[in-house]
Amino acid sequence: MKNEEITYTEAKAEIEKIVALIESDELDVDELSTKVKRASELVAFCKQKLTETDTELQKILEELNA
Amino acid sequence: MDETVFSLSELNLSVKETIRETFNETYWVRAETSDVRHHRNGHCYLEFIEKARDGQSIVAKARATIWSNTFALLKPYFEQETGQAFTSGLTVLVRVSIDFHEIYGYGLFVTDIDPSYTVGEIARNRILVLKKLEEDGVLTLNKELPLPEPLNRIAVISSPSAAGYEDFHSQLDHNNLGVIFYMKLFPAIMQGDKSESSIISALEQIYEFKHLFDVVVIIRGGGASSDLNCFDSYDLATHFAQFPLPVISGIGHERDLTVIDAVAHTRVKTPTAAAEFLINKASVTINELMDLQDRLIDAARTILIHEEHQLNAWSKDLYHHAKSLLHTTKSDLLFLKDKLKSSVKHALEKEQFAIQKYEHFVLLSLPENMLKRGYTITTKNGKTIKSVSDIEMGDMIKTQFSDGEVDSKIVDKR
Repeated sequence: MKNEEITYTEAKAEIEKIVALIESDELDVDELSTKVKRASELVAFCKQKLTETDTELQKILEELNA
Repeated sequence: MDETVFSLSELNLSVKETIRETFNETYWVRAETSDVRHHRNGHCYLEFIEKARDGQSIVAKARATIWSNTFALLKPYFEQETGQAFTSGLTVLVRVSIDFHEIYGYGLFVTDIDPSYTVGEIARNRILVLKKLEEDGVLTLNKELPLPEPLNRIAVISSPSAAGYEDFHSQLDHNNLGVIFYMKLFPAIMQGDKSESSIISALEQIYEFKHLFDVVVIIRGGGASSDLNCFDSYDLATHFAQFPLPVISGIGHERDLTVIDAVAHTRVKTPTAAAEFLINKASVTINELMDLQDRLIDAARTILIHEEHQLNAWSKDLYHHAKSLLHTTKSDLLFLKDKLKSSVKHALEKEQFAIQKYEHFVLLSLPENMLKRGYTITTKNGKTIKSVSDIEMGDMIKTQFSDGEVDSKIVDKR
């Protein structure tokens, strides 16, 4: 999954879309596992953004001369 | 030249006497404070100035002193009433006595102060600045910015040594949500003459790295009274109002809102409250994510359960259908079996009858029976004669009857 280019907001919007699609009952069962997998990955990505230190960003900020 | 010549001291003493005689009361004077210095002997030395209407050029200036015994009373009174430290740049209404010192010259001595005048002036100034910002169309710009999600990369404007900054930092670091907050301090002088330019330069630095941050937080350690002058500045306010990142102000004061508070995206009272605000936002963000996750699991599970039920239902249907189909087929087979049985019986009976008929015919057709009925068999040399052409004149033939044989000689043939 190419998550490098997507933002938290975009990820969240995509999860919301998938959840709404699944809840709408219009989803083909064959697609279910693909969609659930994608949504789970996005949830993990969002959680990571919140709770895992982005060492790269931390380094940039530390080296920033302010 | 017979005019009197004075020594400087004689002249100064004479001026002093004249001033004392002429200005022997105290007077209420409105002026702006400048160069306020709190001396450690307890006296306060300052200058009063009056600016021209353009706010730039100075049209009057006087040195002033507040003696320590007076200052010890006036300072807390003023600060309590205005919520504002007694500093430079304040418009004040003071009661002064006038003196002239032969060495130090003209000077004012403050005997009283009317804080309500300053309160009114601060409020009036704020209203003017806010009105100007509104006319510029920038007053609500920062408030209109959406708060990004997550809100955890924070550019902090603070004095590095402020206790409020330490509190803010450790509160975010030790949040119990497990959320990571990235904080970068952009140090600034938070009071006095240099604060305005210092804060603006911090903002400019943040602007340069704005892609690294979600929000700007400006904080300052609290205190009952503080120098909030610069937070009412038009220049500073217009920078904050137009800043592309949302600004949270937590500049710690109890009194009225400053202009910065009014233009900031969100205003909180203290640095601690700023940290709480950010933690609350993070908590909402996490909860929303968890809710989405729960909904995802529920929705997927619902679909799976539904499919399973349907499969079960179908499988039951299939069993019943198959069973009933088998049942029908079995009855059909039984019926066919009976039908087959009777058909076979019928056919056999028919065959039997036919066979009996044939048997009778065959019996009738047996040679001895034929012989009995008057037919005979003619042979020549043991061979049955079926045609006249088989016999020649003079041949001996044998004729077999049912009860014996005769031999004959052919005498005629036609």
